[in-house]
Amino acid sequence: MAADTRSETAATERFEDVDWDDVGGLGFPRRTLALGVSSLAYLVAVVYDVFLTEDALVSGTNWLFLLTLLAGVFFVAWPLAENRRLTAYYWRRFKKNRAAVISAIYLLVVFVLGTFGPMLIAKPELNVLAAYQPPVFLSVDSSVPTSCVGQAADGLCHGTWKYPLGTTSDGKGIARLVVFGMRVSMQVGLITMLIVISIGTVVGTSAAYFSGLVDELLMRYVDIQQTFPTFFLFLIVTYLFKPSLFLLITIFGFLGWGGIARLVRSEALQRREESYIQAAENAGASDGWIIRRHLMPNVSNTVITAATLLIPSFILFEATFAFLGLTDPSTPSWGQVISSGRGDLDSAWWIATIPGVFLFFTVLAFNFVGDALRDALDPRSEGDA
Amino acid sequence: MSMHWYVARRVAWAVIATYLILSITFGLLAVAPGDGQTAFAFKAATQGGDVDEAQETFDEITGRDEPLLTRYKNYMVNMATLNWGWSFTRNQPVLDAIAQAYPYSLMYAVPATLISIIAGYAIGLYSATHQYTLTDYFGTFTAFFGISIPNFWFGIMLILVFAVDLGWLPSYYQTGRGVWTVANAKQLILPIIVLSTGAIAGNMRYSRAEALEYVHADFVKTARAKGADDWRVLVRHIFRPALVPLMTILVADILGLLFAGAYITEVVFQIPGLGLLSYKAIIQQDTALVMATTLIPVFIAIIGNLVQDIAYTVLDPRISYGDR
Repeated sequence: MAADTRSETAATERFEDVDWDDVGGLGFPRRTLALGVSSLAYLVAVVYDVFLTEDALVSGTNWLFLLTLLAGVFFVAWPLAENRRLTAYYWRRFKKNRAAVISAIYLLVVFVLGTFGPMLIAKPELNVLAAYQPPVFLSVDSSVPTSCVGQAADGLCHGTWKYPLGTTSDGKGIARLVVFGMRVSMQVGLITMLIVISIGTVVGTSAAYFSGLVDELLMRYVDIQQTFPTFFLFLIVTYLFKPSLFLLITIFGFLGWGGIARLVRSEALQRREESYIQAAENAGASDGWIIRRHLMPNVSNTVITAATLLIPSFILFEATFAFLGLTDPSTPSWGQVISSGRGDLDSAWWIATIPGVFLFFTVLAFNFVGDALRDALDPRSEGDA
Repeated sequence: MSMHWYVARRVAWAVIATYLILSITFGLLAVAPGDGQTAFAFKAATQGGDVDEAQETFDEITGRDEPLLTRYKNYMVNMATLNWGWSFTRNQPVLDAIAQAYPYSLMYAVPATLISIIAGYAIGLYSATHQYTLTDYFGTFTAFFGISIPNFWFGIMLILVFAVDLGWLPSYYQTGRGVWTVANAKQLILPIIVLSTGAIAGNMRYSRAEALEYVHADFVKTARAKGADDWRVLVRHIFRPALVPLMTILVADILGLLFAGAYITEVVFQIPGLGLLSYKAIIQQDTALVMATTLIPVFIAIIGNLVQDIAYTVLDPRISYGDR
């Protein structure tokens, strides 16, 4: 571009004469530089935490979550902020779907609360005296709670602002449990998505680009992986090993990318035939460069859409396993609270209901956003569907 | 490549996949720290036995003291000859326990499957032919609801409303009420609703998307121009070509959805089917039973995939065998 305009103004100046330092130079762009620095800092911190401290200061899941957030900043937020015009274009298309906009706002709130909330509020604690408190503005027969924390009048126990969403059978505040559950759900959804799209994109693009034996090997492996239902594999693994959030994320992440890889491959096969790939090959670009700079950016829209629609299934899986009591019991999660309220449906309906409402709306919101993203980002879905 | 060769290759592939999965399971069993050993010893101790002795018995039964290769060989032979072991919590062979449990699973899974296919496809086709109408939006909304609502929570909410508050239906399943009785039907209503909601939504989305490909096709326009009525266009010109992918989706995806969904449904409603059997086995550390009840869905998924691929190639002449 720069060379074009210059050649018009000064006929003597040629492509070879362009002073590249003037137009940004051959150095790394700012994003790459910042990315390099922060990945290095991240690595150092992880190494320090793993090898040099007695107990890990930050759990493995939280480290992975931090990595996911970094990836989000550098590969989603930053490019969007740099390409204002494109962002505005996507936004115009996205906001046509009002349900999706509301969903996105809801998800943002859940994300912020879930990420920062657990740092600010204390973990819910056992308090037998405060068991079975109803949510604020609601009341329940005085015989249900052991003692009423709020006002008790006419044989009814009223909820209090101390426990806005009531308490469970062991006196934990449901509002706090919900906030802690937000973190678990966001971690499961986002980290697993990061693992799935990283592996899926690399495998899919490599299979499409190299074709032949590489393609055959990778795709046959995907076939095998896809036949093994992850739900039952995880059942076996939790049975044999100690269940934890980390285990769940790694299993669903490292075994759940088959679908994305197939999708990326079929998309990249079409891109492979485009002339800009041939041009890059003729110009002597390396395989890695072509995959990174030409294939991956051009399949990213498909990947992001598919990944957004995958998140809810991961969240649902986590909630299901927590409900079954097959996750780490010390991590408060929505499924776990729902399960604990199952026995008290006739007296304390709110215990099982409230976390479920949050779970349902989170999953619904991701589905809405994913659907709207497909319409906004995917040029093929224009018009109908 | 001929079709026979493709089918043969595909079957061979399913066999290899099965073999690999069995090997992986064996590997997991071999490296796992405690596969029911503690539970077994505990059971022996509570029954007045010696813990050390129980340990030895356990090693003998599971063959833990033998070299790895021998164990691997025994394991494979046992799997192939359907000698799937002894469930010590139920004091019966694993396969007997499964044989007793699966009729309960079928009792609600079969109606749920039929309902989800018929209702899902009907709504999907209707939405596709009446695109952008109020009914279409309503259908789309239902689909979102169905795929988003967590099965187990939906079940609990239904119990809360229909069993606890209204008292119309029983809140959990009780055996001994016969099979073809009103009492049994009543206690199966909620599980069927829970299981079919998600599946209806899935079927609806697929069938709508599939049918939309053909709604604006030239041959449909031609049929309309020649005076075919709506029903004929729908059944003969849209439904027939759309049926091919729909049928194949049906086999594998429905199976997977039903199995994972059934697991939860049975735990929520206390139906003594395969899911609850497996869940109890996990809680009680009954390894042989855990393995059998989790491997059966896996095998069914493999067979489902196989049938799906073969059905696809047989039904759709456009598929080239060379591709896969």
